[in-house]
Amino acid sequence: MRQRRADEYAEFAAARAGHLYRSACLLTAGDTHLAEDLVQETLGRLYVSWGRVSRVGNPAGYAQTVLARTFLAHQRKRSSTERATDVLPDLPDERAGQDMPLRLTLLEALGRLPAKDRAVVVLRYWEDRSIEETARAMNASSAAVRTRCVRVLGRLRELLGEDLSDYARS
Amino acid sequence: MPVDQHSDPFVPLDPFEEQLSAGLRQAGGVFETDRAALVTAGALKGRRRLLRRRAAVVGGAASLALVGLGGALLLPGGGSAHQDGAEVGSSTPSATSTPAPAPVSGDDLIRTLEKLLPHGKFSKAEARGTDEPPAPYVHLVYDDGKGAAAVGVSLARVEPGSDEARQATECPGKAFAHYDACSTTRLPDASVVMVLQGYEYPDRRVDTKWWSAELVTPTGQHVSVSEWNAAAEKDSPVTRAEPPLSADRLRKLAAASAWRDAIDSMPEDTAEPTAQPTGSDTAVAVPIAPMLRSLLPKRKFTVSEDSGDDSGFGYLVVDDGMGKSLVQVNVQGDMSDVAGDLFGSGAKTLPDGTKVAVHQEPSEKGGAGAVMWTVDTLRSDGRRVVISELNSGAPHDDATRRTPALSIEELRAIALSPKWWQ
Repeated sequence: MRQRRADEYAEFAAARAGHLYRSACLLTAGDTHLAEDLVQETLGRLYVSWGRVSRVGNPAGYAQTVLARTFLAHQRKRSSTERATDVLPDLPDERAGQDMPLRLTLLEALGRLPAKDRAVVVLRYWEDRSIEETARAMNASSAAVRTRCVRVLGRLRELLGEDLSDYARS
Repeated sequence: MPVDQHSDPFVPLDPFEEQLSAGLRQAGGVFETDRAALVTAGALKGRRRLLRRRAAVVGGAASLALVGLGGALLLPGGGSAHQDGAEVGSSTPSATSTPAPAPVSGDDLIRTLEKLLPHGKFSKAEARGTDEPPAPYVHLVYDDGKGAAAVGVSLARVEPGSDEARQATECPGKAFAHYDACSTTRLPDASVVMVLQGYEYPDRRVDTKWWSAELVTPTGQHVSVSEWNAAAEKDSPVTRAEPPLSADRLRKLAAASAWRDAIDSMPEDTAEPTAQPTGSDTAVAVPIAPMLRSLLPKRKFTVSEDSGDDSGFGYLVVDDGMGKSLVQVNVQGDMSDVAGDLFGSGAKTLPDGTKVAVHQEPSEKGGAGAVMWTVDTLRSDGRRVVISELNSGAPHDDATRRTPALSIEELRAIALSPKWWQ
């Protein structure tokens, strides 16, 4: 990597690492070790293709897409034995809406979603991506993402209750 | 905060979605880490990736130059036999009948590493030979009496004189500041070796030290040795203050001629991970749970839960009268690129090329007495079916029975059924 490009990359990575890490923590439902690995992997991929990435209009958005795909690829390699969280029973009702802080409840709920559902939630509601952009990031059709989105919102409503303002804000 | 405010103007968020967004910002916002360290580790990963990619490209495009009548000389990059003086291995242009070196097996690599390490105890050795894609490596736990330590060696080729070859042995610059020491040495044979003494976790929340030596010879052989002061890279407690081999010993270990001989025996297409197509499990459309139900053995089962018509992944909770068993299935297309990760030396290969691996182990997430039995199958065209079952009805539950409801043979028959692909 030439020096100017290397400097640009270092500057970009330093500016975006924090946000990428927080996104990764949501994708992994709070598994900070895995989140760190995913961000390292993402930054590593960006490093390799930085010349091209730096010329695209929105390298920050591109980085988020790489992160989401890295996460999905990681999950894909895992066998069904590690997808057990997909079939956990619902959260016990008595916990919803009580003293449990929203962020913890939310992470727990994310942990109960399949990987692709989690990616949709993070891209749509954390990254504020449109359905189309979410679909592009996930290499899926927008119809598929729309359907997934409806389903996952239903699931989250089941897990969290209809009114999230009931949760403690700590 | 979100990078892009790209909300779809035609789909206004409902109150739940608004709250979800706000909740995610609250949940995500609290995660903090050592960003500089993360950046350092990312860039190091990038450098390694660049190196591997280059090795793959060179490996894939390597040409065979006929030497005399019988011998073949493998050249990185496809130049002439004398390009940059880059004769590889023990073959020389004057050797008229030098055979191509025989592959070095994983077991050989394990023996080599054990022989090169100072006296101590070895365990958990695993390796891939030089003819097993994507690339050879050896990894074991070594204990010199002062604490168990993971030690690994991986082997590759790089293009001699390329930027990548240079970068592999160049200490990271000021942007990559998180290590204790780094030095680059030129050996008498003109090989260059870098020894980096750094950390496994960039934020050092666990003081696992990761020390490595990267050696590149003038002909492009690349030996990479790593050691840790813990029995595994990650998620394993520190067992000693420092990894067992000093910087000097690490350098010598990387320079051992046995590694170079092994690299010379790598066939030209061994290191080609990036050339593999990446698969997509969305290509497989069969609804899992109904198919699984139809493939259950002809005994009486009650099904109490069912994942519906989802493709890709599905499950049933079955009961044969002796207690509940959760049976889960993944069906994926085009997984050949990760075959090496999934199917180790314990896997069997059927006459049609299908790989089958069986695992019977305590359930990682399970309650008391819970076990998980898994049969993982990968057809030669990359299509994979993994089936696993618990002796309980849910991942975190205690065992409801001594063993799961279906035998390994029954799992195997289900996984290998051609119906998944009809």
